[in-house]
Amino acid sequence: MPSAHTKSPRAASRTPLIEVTKLSKVYVNDAVETPVLFDIDLRVQSGEFMAIMGPSGSGKSTLMHILGFLDRPTHGKYRFLGKDTAGRTDDELAIIRATKVSFVFQAFHLLPRATVLENVMLPLLYHPTIPSAERQHRAQAAINAVGLFERTNFLTSQLSGGQKQRTAIARSLVTEPQVIFADEPTGNLDSVSGIQVMGALEKLHASGHTIILVTHERSTAEFADRIVHILDGRIASDSRSHSRRSSSGLTSLK
Amino acid sequence: MNTKDIIQSATKSISSNAKRTSLTILGIVIGVASVVLMISTGKSFQGYILDQINSFGSNTMDVIPKGFEKFGGNLESLTIEDYERIKRLSSVERVVPVIIVNRSVHYGREDMTPMVFGATSDIFGNYGMKLASGRLLDESDERGAQRSVVAAYQTALDLFGNRDPIGQRIVIGEESFTVVGTLKSAGSLLLSDLDKPVFIPFATARSMTGQRHVSYITLKTVGDSDIAKRDITELLRTRHRIDNSQDDPDLDDFIARSAEQVTSIISSVTLGLTVFLALIAGISLLVGGIGIMNIMLVTVSERTQEIGLRKALGARPRDILIQFLTEALALTCGGALVGLVLGAGTGWILSRIADRILGEFHFILSPFALVAAICMAVGTGLLFGVYPASKAARLDPIEALRYE
Repeated sequence: MPSAHTKSPRAASRTPLIEVTKLSKVYVNDAVETPVLFDIDLRVQSGEFMAIMGPSGSGKSTLMHILGFLDRPTHGKYRFLGKDTAGRTDDELAIIRATKVSFVFQAFHLLPRATVLENVMLPLLYHPTIPSAERQHRAQAAINAVGLFERTNFLTSQLSGGQKQRTAIARSLVTEPQVIFADEPTGNLDSVSGIQVMGALEKLHASGHTIILVTHERSTAEFADRIVHILDGRIASDSRSHSRRSSSGLTSLK
Repeated sequence: MNTKDIIQSATKSISSNAKRTSLTILGIVIGVASVVLMISTGKSFQGYILDQINSFGSNTMDVIPKGFEKFGGNLESLTIEDYERIKRLSSVERVVPVIIVNRSVHYGREDMTPMVFGATSDIFGNYGMKLASGRLLDESDERGAQRSVVAAYQTALDLFGNRDPIGQRIVIGEESFTVVGTLKSAGSLLLSDLDKPVFIPFATARSMTGQRHVSYITLKTVGDSDIAKRDITELLRTRHRIDNSQDDPDLDDFIARSAEQVTSIISSVTLGLTVFLALIAGISLLVGGIGIMNIMLVTVSERTQEIGLRKALGARPRDILIQFLTEALALTCGGALVGLVLGAGTGWILSRIADRILGEFHFILSPFALVAAICMAVGTGLLFGVYPASKAARLDPIEALRYE
């Protein structure tokens, strides 16, 4: 197993966080079959910062939905933390989403009439083990981690785009998931806010979080250590990013 | 999600759209208000009627000829002899024969047609009528068939105005009577005015009319009223030569009816009426429920993205179901509370008006009405909330997140 793109030398011997073999997805709509993914083989280790890159319609979002337990593969095997995920019920998938994975969306998807704190606390409502007394404390810590301490009690409608996305990142952190999926996180942002958001993700990665970024922009993908290209539902290339970007240099240029 | 979270989330979402919420629950408010109003008014009215009957005392029994309430019956079936024999039964006491004298009453230029009751003196006690001035009729009036008369409250007032009625002479039919007493106001019974009639001795009425039969007989039962009823029925069947081994009341030419029987008949009639009215009111609650369903469907489609988000964050279908069901329930329960207050308030105001008109009308807010209204509201919320909530719970998270 190639371990060039993993950080730890012991990575090869560890159980991969995500291990996908011969995975394919076919959508059936009115008896018309639309194949979206073909024979995907992919391994992701804990602690990786990986980008799934591809043009729209390439199947990258579908792959992310399957990896994030929002969707199920049609064929193939998906092992998460070494366990096969086939045959899980909707409730079991919901519990995995509540505890093991989290999402940052292009459209932010924040509750509009709620504060930053309330939004960040939202995933904890569905967490089976974190007691309600701890919610506020954990949410505040996540908000501080993305630098929004002063906006804690702002309504999300009062925030800028970048602040909204950082709120969403705080929300994805609060359950301390195994992996954070970021789906075009800078897609709705101007370049400065986009860089700030990528900076926040970089920081998470540096502190040990596994991040899977989905984007069609090379410039965004280049923040990651590893770039997986998806083209027409197949993995076209899987390489370590040689010219890795960093938000620190870029923001100082502005 | 624990219960507190669910309730918080429901109240937040409801209060965030106050105008829509208040319009939505209007249907429930009106529905619950009318159910409560119908049941409590029905109960109050029933209570009013039963109070009146009970003011007679519960052990009152009337023996009336069949023709009294059945067309084609014989109004003359009860004879004075029948009365004499009933009086000897051990299961009855204070048996009063009544002859209703169909004559007009004159005083000076005043000319009235109150009911003229020819009855023995026990009638006042049996009917719970109290003396206001003078004296009641007594044994000596009866023995001598005296031309004495006792006037009820309203008739005394109409005839004599401010003058003292005692000792005044009035003409009933062709004969002159002396007013010996007046009665206190007794209100009305079953919408017949107890303050109107005048009372003369039974013997006097008998000699005036010359009739051998009585209009009806009223008495108090001793002990079980069923035994008294059986004794009277047996006695009268024998006397009237009615062969009625089937115990078919249609064959009898008389009816022995206790106050309890009247009470239970009236109770069942008013109960039936109350249930009927409450059911009609319940239909408006159903319409209100459809309004709730409608607005919940709108809410679900407006908040599709939020539902998708919650699912992506780990909400199970059942969490979403409970959340939206709770919102529907909160809407209906909120509406039900407002409706309860509104319905009870309206019922109270109506009972005050009825009290002015009828007298002694008490407002009864039955706990049954409260429980029924709350149950119906909760039932409506569940019934009409389940479809939108399950629709929300079944949403596919990816499609819901993409929903515009």
